[in-house]
Amino acid sequence: MLASHYTIWCNVDMDQLTDVLTAISHPSRRAIIGKLAESGPTRFTDVAKPFDVALNAVTKHLKLLERAGLIERERQGREVLISLRPEPLRLVAGWVHEYERFWNERLDQFEQHFKDKRKKERK
Amino acid sequence: MNSAKTIEIKVERTIPAPPGEVFDGWLNPKIPGNPWNMAEKLLLNPKVDGFFYWNAKGISHYGRFTEVARPGRIQHTWVSPNTLGEESTVTVIFKKQGEDTLMTLVHSGLPDTDGGRGHEKGWNYFLDLFPLQFTDASRERK
Repeated sequence: MLASHYTIWCNVDMDQLTDVLTAISHPSRRAIIGKLAESGPTRFTDVAKPFDVALNAVTKHLKLLERAGLIERERQGREVLISLRPEPLRLVAGWVHEYERFWNERLDQFEQHFKDKRKKERK
Repeated sequence: MNSAKTIEIKVERTIPAPPGEVFDGWLNPKIPGNPWNMAEKLLLNPKVDGFFYWNAKGISHYGRFTEVARPGRIQHTWVSPNTLGEESTVTVIFKKQGEDTLMTLVHSGLPDTDGGRGHEKGWNYFLDLFPLQFTDASRERK
């Protein structure tokens, strides 16, 4: 178990991790992720609608999300549909939570030991 | 620790035993679940300025106890390959909760490498947004 933690950490593509963390660090980009997660493939104009910023600012946000691999664009006729690709978030989640998982597993065992002990004492 | 930003992990459990017993259990390598129990090679001196060393699957961990205050609190440093050689800090707090103990473990000072620097808020956000994916990812890795 422990060895697998280290393997996962060592294999993380740090460049992609940086891109993903950069992408999710801005509230507008998080809002875009939220909208795409909720609505599925969405037209550019609909992605941009809720934001009180220039369209080229939205375009810049989308470029950062695209660089992180978090969205993809697909042309359908005159429209470009933008979709969420959530997989890179798992990479970040795994990296962030290795120690959290380690301690949770430790404390689960620790808790179980005392639960078993109390059960025996109360029999 | 250098000036790089760090992250913190917090884990809580309610343990069905009084704080003194839980405290002692956390420092007893024979009790499953504490970090010492999984060691293949262990040196453990749980007193202030006492050191520990443990090794499992060829991976070494080192640290120094900075607080050992029965039954309420244990704090020690923690150095491993995952801390990139930096000292992180593990603080364990045992708080009486009726017949039980609320045990809170905080692992702080974990290095926030280039990839994560400055983006803690983002993590919290996407944890809220995609809980199912994290659960699935976690299950896949287990």
